Amino acid sequence: MTRSAWKGPFFVALPGLRQALTQNIPVRTNARACTIIPSFVGLKFQIHNGKDYTPLTVTDEMVGHKLGEFAPTRKRFSYRQTKNR
Amino acid sequence: MLHLLGVNLPDQKLVQYALPLFYGIGQKTALKVLATLSIHKTCKIADLSEPQVNQLSTLLSDMKIESDLRKQIRANIMHHRSIGSYVGRRHAMGLPVRGQNTKNNAKTARRLNGRWLKAEKREYSSSTRSIIPTAESPFESFFNRKWF
Repeated sequence: MTRSAWKGPFFVALPGLRQALTQNIPVRTNARACTIIPSFVGLKFQIHNGKDYTPLTVTDEMVGHKLGEFAPTRKRFSYRQTKNR
Repeated sequence: MLHLLGVNLPDQKLVQYALPLFYGIGQKTALKVLATLSIHKTCKIADLSEPQVNQLSTLLSDMKIESDLRKQIRANIMHHRSIGSYVGRRHAMGLPVRGQNTKNNAKTARRLNGRWLKAEKREYSSSTRSIIPTAESPFESFFNRKWF
């Protein structure tokens, strides 16, 4: 189901966005549901994945997707023989 | 046999059931095609007249079927793969993309999901792939959704 057009894209007002644009500092955020809008292009982000912050540089192809799509939240299962290691 | 746009339509079949032999045409679309060309439902491929066949081929050539559709699907998946989104990752892993369970089975996804990317690789190696121009850039599609 697509979001109703009249609502506009969902995005969060991210603090430190202007500073990030000028000084090229990554924006650290937990707002995974925030839509990537065209003004984000070229910015660096650090997106929370539940544990730590995964880095992302936004390119113009990513516009319209959500920030969370680029920070996977699950770890791949890897078998270990003993638990105490 | 009627040869249309690279697909063989057997003579003895009803047009209604022969059209779904095209990739991208199902029962529903087949019936719509019949309605637009005013061909009756019990008409067989052999019974089609020459102008009707011509009409059919012009109509089908305008539709997005067969290789065009395959290209489009592949381009959509490759878009996700190239930007490294979750959807693209799941496709590459051959696992369900939309949050289905993977504790058991996930048979359909295991069968189907990797294949578009594999096809891409195969074509890369033979270097016959031409770059598919996407219909609109991400910017355009973003603004075309009339959000603002």
